[in-house]
Amino acid sequence: MIRDFIYAKAKTLEEALDLIDRHIEDYKIICGGQSLLILMRQGLVAPEYLIDIKNVEELDYLNFEDKKGLRIGATTTHRTIELSPIIKGKYPVLTDMEKNLASIQTRNWGTIGGNLCHGDPAGDPGPVFMAMNGSVKLASKRKTRTLPLDEFFIDYFETALEEGELLCEVQLPPIPLRTAVAYEKFNIIKNDQGIVSVAAAITLESNGLGCKDARIVLGAAAPAPIRARDAEKMLIGEKISTNLLKKVAEKASEEADPVADIHASEEYRRSLVNALTKKMVKKAWNQARALAK
Amino acid sequence: MTKFNVINTPIHNVDGIAKVTGRAEYAFDVVLPQMLYGKILRSPYPHAKILNIDMTQAEALAGVKAVVTGKDTLGVKQGIWRRYKELCDEEILAREKVRYIGEPVAAVAAVDEDTAEEALDLIEVEYESLPAVFEPLEAIKEDAPLLHENAERNINVTRHIEWGDLDEAFKQADYVREDWFRCSSQAHVCMETHCAVASYTPEGKLTVWTSTQSHYYIKVLLADVLGLKENDIRVISRYTGGGFGSKFELDSAQFCSAVLSMKLCKPVKIVLSREEEFMATKRRTPMFYYLRSGVKKDGTFLVKEARVFTEGGAYTAMGATALYLTGFFQSFPYVWPSYQYDGYRVYTNTAPTSAMRGFGAPQATFCAETQIDLIAEELGIDRIDIRRKNAMYAGYEVPGQATIQSCGLIECLDKVEEWIKDRGKLPPHHGIGIAAYGFMSGGIFNWFNTPYAFSSAIIQVNVDGKVDLFIGSQDMGQGSNTTMAMICAEELGVRVEDIRLHMGDTDKCPVDLGAWGSRETLMQGNAVKMAAADVKRQIIEYAAAKMSPNIVYDLDIKDRWVHLIARPERGLSYFDVVKEAIRGKEGQPIVARGHYTPHGKGMISPAYSFGVQAVEAGVDPETGKVSLKNCVTAHDCGQVINPLGVQGQLEGAIAMAAGYGFTEDLPMDEGKILNPNLVDYKILRTTEMPETTVMEVETYEPEGPFGAKEAGEGLTNPTAGALANAVFQATGTSIKELPITPEKVFNALKEKEKIKK
Amino acid sequence: MEKQMLRITVNSDFHELYIKPKMLLVEVLRDELGLMGTKRGCNTGACHACTVILNGKTVKSCSILAIQADGAEVRTVEDLADGAELTPVQRSFLDHGAYQCGFCTSGMLLSATTLLTENPNPTVEQIKEGIHGNLCRCTGYNSIIRAVKAVAEGKYKEGGK
Repeated sequence: MIRDFIYAKAKTLEEALDLIDRHIEDYKIICGGQSLLILMRQGLVAPEYLIDIKNVEELDYLNFEDKKGLRIGATTTHRTIELSPIIKGKYPVLTDMEKNLASIQTRNWGTIGGNLCHGDPAGDPGPVFMAMNGSVKLASKRKTRTLPLDEFFIDYFETALEEGELLCEVQLPPIPLRTAVAYEKFNIIKNDQGIVSVAAAITLESNGLGCKDARIVLGAAAPAPIRARDAEKMLIGEKISTNLLKKVAEKASEEADPVADIHASEEYRRSLVNALTKKMVKKAWNQARALAK
Repeated sequence: MTKFNVINTPIHNVDGIAKVTGRAEYAFDVVLPQMLYGKILRSPYPHAKILNIDMTQAEALAGVKAVVTGKDTLGVKQGIWRRYKELCDEEILAREKVRYIGEPVAAVAAVDEDTAEEALDLIEVEYESLPAVFEPLEAIKEDAPLLHENAERNINVTRHIEWGDLDEAFKQADYVREDWFRCSSQAHVCMETHCAVASYTPEGKLTVWTSTQSHYYIKVLLADVLGLKENDIRVISRYTGGGFGSKFELDSAQFCSAVLSMKLCKPVKIVLSREEEFMATKRRTPMFYYLRSGVKKDGTFLVKEARVFTEGGAYTAMGATALYLTGFFQSFPYVWPSYQYDGYRVYTNTAPTSAMRGFGAPQATFCAETQIDLIAEELGIDRIDIRRKNAMYAGYEVPGQATIQSCGLIECLDKVEEWIKDRGKLPPHHGIGIAAYGFMSGGIFNWFNTPYAFSSAIIQVNVDGKVDLFIGSQDMGQGSNTTMAMICAEELGVRVEDIRLHMGDTDKCPVDLGAWGSRETLMQGNAVKMAAADVKRQIIEYAAAKMSPNIVYDLDIKDRWVHLIARPERGLSYFDVVKEAIRGKEGQPIVARGHYTPHGKGMISPAYSFGVQAVEAGVDPETGKVSLKNCVTAHDCGQVINPLGVQGQLEGAIAMAAGYGFTEDLPMDEGKILNPNLVDYKILRTTEMPETTVMEVETYEPEGPFGAKEAGEGLTNPTAGALANAVFQATGTSIKELPITPEKVFNALKEKEKIKK
Repeated sequence: MEKQMLRITVNSDFHELYIKPKMLLVEVLRDELGLMGTKRGCNTGACHACTVILNGKTVKSCSILAIQADGAEVRTVEDLADGAELTPVQRSFLDHGAYQCGFCTSGMLLSATTLLTENPNPTVEQIKEGIHGNLCRCTGYNSIIRAVKAVAEGKYKEGGK
């Protein structure tokens, strides 16, 4: 059951940061609450103050500029991202990712900020944003800072968010030329969280043949979403081949640090990382090649 | 084909408007004046002595009205096998010992749910943990901890079925194979969890609103445990949000709310949380299966030997029936000249295993059909041909067990074979698997020890022609209300909208044993038909007197028209006849009773449904993931009464049985269920359902109303087996352990690669 | 703990309620307003039986604090029919037997209705996605999909609200 709490509603970012600062001893932020409320109902989280930022309209936005890229306000719902024509045009992998995330009902109310701050290694946006070299803007009453997502996820349900900080914005640079991003999760029931997931971003050289840059991010394969950096290195400067894909996928599965649970053993999770890495690198590569033409 | 006016026509479910407008009131929705809310404290240990329970702090909490333990009850050990006292082993509120994680030890009634929950935390229970055992093959060992004093080596029940000559038959066999299987557990996952509102009043009467499949059983069981007279108890269940076998035994919500209410003389409501639902309500019986079969090289079945150990959990529940039925249906739907089954139900310190849709038959069918495909493969015989060769047929007698009166199995095989041929070449990594089954239309057993007819009905025709139909059957979504209204309307000669259905209330309705074992259509249906025939006869009596036809003419009623059969244009409106007939009956409405109890119908059931299902599945060789593409079922339920109902039952059965086959499981660690929620327990959503096709094979079952047999439960039998066989066809690997998870398929494929190399 | 004022319009009726901030929207609808059509089936936001429409969008009423719906317009299953006049989706559900025990039906209807409002002619795939959150244990979904498709194909004239 939910323990009683003192409820405070913020209408502006400033108000929110102020409320957080005042109640810094024992507070939790609620926005969509699609993850938080489940924890509260089980008694796992019981803050004294609950600060509601759902109505902070100034954090609900989607802005795209050719040079700067995409800026998503933290209280933007998954559904807004899913249905955004801008995102479908410029970052189609995000549209796909959102369509496969939970349910329409969850996406209608749950927010991108809430999802990232929950720090679930099985979350979908994290790996995808990491693959796209994304960053987050964090603000507290005293300071504002920007952090690459690569550094945002620390451990199971633990992020780099400091006490008093609020995640305000997700920043995605414009997708570089000759670059494609692919993401897939493995699940038994569609839209369930992935038993394992892989995001791959491939940038091709100007001749459209060799790989200039690669990012491979593994989700639900470690205590936090991680980059498979050794696997990435193997791609740089190379041309695609079945053999290369096999080696890269093998390396990625070695870099994974999965934990067994009732859904899958550690060994099988590594096999899934292997299978998905192969598939996603190939998919991204082929898409990048098509773009390069 | 007989022409019917009402049955076999798609009509709106009679409860439809209530359900689509949100008006249907479930026990979950019942709110009464002065109602309190109850919560149950449950054992965290799989096996422990209860040394002491200190309730003082809980009782002192503001808002708490009562705290009860087993000591506040009569301590009656109850069970649904009432006829056999040694199988009545469950107190519900444990007094001396707990035997599974989740067993109730105390219950609280408070002004609201939160207070009740807080009070649970304040109850101090002193346990002495005892060694526990979780697997039946461990529990049966000499030195295993004993759950019940009277059950040596934890053997709860044994069953033996035998006919023919096993040894001789194996000698005759050209090919013998043996296989071991492991069938998993499964949770019912009714959308409405177990719940009850009990209200005891100073007159000494108890009323219980509850979500149940049998209000009669609940009434009698409550009387047993509370020391009340049966008929000082009223059980009401107008709408039940799903049952699937989980809701015809007395459960903790019903028992604890009744005990609390009797103490306080106030209504007490207990709703089990989804976690409690997983942890502490009964579930499908897991089984360890051994099959040894001997056949001739032309595929003729000669002999099968089956040995099964079931994980009983802590109490008998309905597990004894599952044990028997799995052994009985292991021989279905084929002619096995020699057969032997030995089943052992073993107590374990886990949540009791009991009845779930199919009742041991889905487990049996999974094993049997998997083995048959392997036999066919070995002998190089087509898998449909081998089944056809040995199929049961109308008139076949299962030695000492049953007479099959109607059987459309061969036609079902033909239809599925045709579909497979038409389907043509499959994409790579795809396979079509088939499985055949037969199932009971209600059981002949009276382990409940009722003195009443198994089903009864009362009909009253009123002056405006409206027909009051009082039935004891329970509609839990399977559509029995609509089926009964249709049978009544058809037999009487009126329309469904003329029927006013009364059900779900033990005060108003005659006894029916409830919706389990797929008995309602045949048994309640027969009772309804009998009553309707009687009422019709009375109406016709009056009409005959009024019309004075030639004595050689017979009358009938069809679609509200009372007429001469030979000259149908000569007749009277049913409404006019009824209006006058009542005056002729001293102003009394026209009333009749009907009832049905199977007599001399063999050991299991008066009638058996049959079917064949083909599942087309694709396997991703990279991950082992199985996707269902098509599911085609040819089935024989005799005469279809409610076609929309039958289709719904088929599709729902596929979802549930496919889940049993490849997505659902209840993994445990030392008796603790590890996935007691709907995120980690995976039931099918829209996207995992295959395309479904039903092909009706019509037969006529003399035992059933208008020739009807069951449809809702038998359809759960084949899917796991068909799915397993589809994976076998697609990958060449046969997986003998349920559920068939991607990991298992992936590992099997890896093994196969290794062996190849 | 201090109660808060909740101003909420439910099925076109305006309500002012004093509630504890921890109260869930589903609890306000069922326990305060007596609208029992909305059900609850789980504690982990998985089953979606509690689906209602909030400011035109479907949400899980068990996963929203009522206070967050302050100033909002909520529709429950009770708001579909106009007296005895059922909506096309409701009528199609009746014709196709798209329910059995009925416990998931309220949420299912609201998901289906909203889907058709946003996309009046969905493909079967889109229907599957549109009601994907809503679990049903009885029907196997296919009858529900047929019912929604029939409405999409224009087989039902307008009715209800």
